[in-house]
Amino acid sequence: MSNPILHEREFMKTLLLNGLLPLEKQRTVQSLYYILRGRKGNQTVQDVYLFRLHPYYRLFPKFSREYWEEIIASLKAQRLLQLEADDRAKTKPTFLLTAAGKQFLREGVEQYQLDNWLEPIRRVAANEQLQSQWLKLHLLVQTVSQLLHRDIAFYPVVQQRSIQQWVKEQLGVPSERERWMNELVGELELLLQAFPERLQQLVVRQFSGAGQTGSTLPQLARQWQEPPSFLWVKLLHCLAVMAERIQAEQGENFPLLHRLFTADQRTSRQLSDSAAHTWRLLRQNLSIAEIARQRRLSPNTVEDHLVEIALLYPDWDISPYISDREQREIQTLSSRLQTRRLRLLKNHLQDKYSYLQIRLALARQKGAVYDD
Amino acid sequence: MTIKEQRLHEALQHYYGFRTFRPGQLEIIQRVLAGRSVLGLLSTGSGKSVTYQLPAQLLPGITLVVSPLISLMVDQVQRLRMRGKFSAVYLNSSLEPAETRRLLSEVEQGRYKLVYISPEKLQQPNIQQLLARRGVSLVAVDEAHCISQWGHDFRTDYLRLPEIVQKLGNPPVLAVTATATEEVQREIARLFHIHQEDIVSQSLNRGNIAYDIIAVTDEAEKREKIIEAVAKLHGPGIVYCRTRQAVEQFVATCQLAGLDKVEGYHGGMSAMDRVLIQEQFLRDELSVIVATNAFGMGIDKPNIRYVLHYHFPGSIEEYTQEVGRIGRDGQPGYAALYFAIEDLAIHQHLSQAEYPEPAVIELFVASLRAKTGLKLAYPEIAAGLDLPETQTELLLFYAEQAGLIARSDRPPYGVQVNSGFPADAANRIGQRIERARQAKRTKLTQMVNWLQQKGCYRQALAAYFGSTDDLGYDLYCCSSCGLQRIDYEQDVSRLTAALPETNWNLHEALRMLLPVELYNRGGHHH
Repeated sequence: MSNPILHEREFMKTLLLNGLLPLEKQRTVQSLYYILRGRKGNQTVQDVYLFRLHPYYRLFPKFSREYWEEIIASLKAQRLLQLEADDRAKTKPTFLLTAAGKQFLREGVEQYQLDNWLEPIRRVAANEQLQSQWLKLHLLVQTVSQLLHRDIAFYPVVQQRSIQQWVKEQLGVPSERERWMNELVGELELLLQAFPERLQQLVVRQFSGAGQTGSTLPQLARQWQEPPSFLWVKLLHCLAVMAERIQAEQGENFPLLHRLFTADQRTSRQLSDSAAHTWRLLRQNLSIAEIARQRRLSPNTVEDHLVEIALLYPDWDISPYISDREQREIQTLSSRLQTRRLRLLKNHLQDKYSYLQIRLALARQKGAVYDD
Repeated sequence: MTIKEQRLHEALQHYYGFRTFRPGQLEIIQRVLAGRSVLGLLSTGSGKSVTYQLPAQLLPGITLVVSPLISLMVDQVQRLRMRGKFSAVYLNSSLEPAETRRLLSEVEQGRYKLVYISPEKLQQPNIQQLLARRGVSLVAVDEAHCISQWGHDFRTDYLRLPEIVQKLGNPPVLAVTATATEEVQREIARLFHIHQEDIVSQSLNRGNIAYDIIAVTDEAEKREKIIEAVAKLHGPGIVYCRTRQAVEQFVATCQLAGLDKVEGYHGGMSAMDRVLIQEQFLRDELSVIVATNAFGMGIDKPNIRYVLHYHFPGSIEEYTQEVGRIGRDGQPGYAALYFAIEDLAIHQHLSQAEYPEPAVIELFVASLRAKTGLKLAYPEIAAGLDLPETQTELLLFYAEQAGLIARSDRPPYGVQVNSGFPADAANRIGQRIERARQAKRTKLTQMVNWLQQKGCYRQALAAYFGSTDDLGYDLYCCSSCGLQRIDYEQDVSRLTAALPETNWNLHEALRMLLPVELYNRGGHHH
């Protein structure tokens, strides 16, 4: 029997190298860790947008430090990844994928068909939402199952109060409860039919209900001899495809599930709380210095917020800070030098622009990721 | 049988479907209903919860159940609700503020007879006042040994309970525990003003459990032996490890060895996975759980046949609790501990994480000193020190004891930093913490002594808890007195009965789960 733990590690190496590739020479290795955990900070949110790492954002919210370190260490030991000794040693070292690393990545991406799995997740770009939709669906199916079996004494699989509350609201009104009981099964079948059998099983066998205790992902992984993390990616893939289809066909075919998969624009592209506060003040025409004073923040922090806003709101006019012509100058240089490292750009432009100006220009650059 | 006893039996039948009380239960319940404060010493698995749940149904006011573990609380309330005859609710930090407010107003309206509450929630004066207004008939203190500073599981919030009982209008207290030495019993009785004659103590001896202590020299030998035991023993069973890592490694080893119905359980898993694994185990879909001590508290599974200890626990009390989950149905069961003295290193490591170092205490006191006269909210107190939460709690407790801070009674319930710090404050706190650390070390030493002694393990266990009258057993006593493991074994087939990959049919799978046609055919009875 092949060793399932090794298999899991091999998959993670490919998955992480794939996420690291766009960050090569631009950021530290750790920055991907923060993305995977879904850190809410400015820098992380910006990196996700700049490097188009949406499928990776909050992909593993509980990713442990130890596991991360272990995989990175083994990538280094195998010489797939190397840190870039920084010339001026002022900033933290960036990294690059070695030729062997790129070869390994190409083969892995091919083997696991990684792009196919990630593509819908990239389009939906809302892992946090998908994960909470999954919990809602899970609890909803369990509750409806118990109702249909006329056995309402059960132990809810999902303990999060907010999710329980949501399900309660859905099933609270008798006429609505009737609808869920009668129509959920049909909507689910229609939705899942479109998937290959394995994926149908991946979703349905995790459900709990009367007479069935759901399997955990690791249990399914073991039975099918697949890496658990890979199954998790596949599950998110399914959820993303489901969310897209439900939104496209909503009222017609999935009137009930549509309630569950409604895209909440506020969570799918959410400013951090602090940036949102700055955004409100900005719209009252306060200057950076005024906002900083009023909020007792350093101007640097407020500038971080501006960059975040520029990324999340493409319509926001940044010309008061940097003219269109100046933006283009910075963007062209960045493309030519194949870098987004601020200090490098600033030097090349002989300090003509501030960091804020460069960052705003980069935030608005089209095609933010460089292909290798 | 008196009429009163008759009525209690009827209540037992009505609420639980049992005909008779287990030893000790009736005595405790009668005293509690007569308004006396009681200390109940009941062995693990002997139905402690009945002793407060049943009175709760018969008393006029609220029965408050103070419980140290959120998961245990949630679990008990969930299962009470499943049974449908109890109006129970829990209040703890896992609830969102809005939810807490809603539940509190329901408590105030008298919706609940049983209110489970975490000790830290009960510290809040507004909650105390609300409960006092509504009227508390009984305060049940579960895991009462947590109040002892020299016990194995001291919790600072517990020490404030006697004062809170007073604020609630001095209702009777029912303190229950399965693991208290005589010294700890005396301490509990003193703190809650329980009379000697109201200590109801059942034999803590578990006659249906046989104790097997197996010396191993290294990790490889240990793993090999436990795998072999798991493969042969008649389940369901639990394997206890001290660390998450050990759990995961051992599960992987089992699975590589082809033992499929073995799963891990620890605090690092997602909440949903923990619920699923627990449910699978309760429904006998799994044979073996490999777990840290996060698993098992409040789990009601009567047919657990064995418990194996991969690492020895930190105290005899913990050990007793963990093996106590065996055979609650009264059937014979097997407890084996694989003893390697090297495992002391793990305990050393865990203890380091639990207690702050002297340098940390200095820093903590210095940072308090800098805030003299200020009112602080909890997060601000330890800000910048980067301490684990348990250490912060411990430091705050001793700082309060030393008079450095005072808790404020009004929202937002922070602390007031007093002025005039004694110069040796850090030292004093350090000494107290050192004493607590020593107490814990003593517990560990006693555990190791028990393992290393050559006499009867059952007798030595009884001696530790100070009651050697009952040393009876049914199948075997222990490895010193001689036992045959083969009597707890079975053939291997049940463990490796892997699910066959049946033909998948989406339509049918969904209809099994959601049988809408069946439901509609059944008509709408009610």
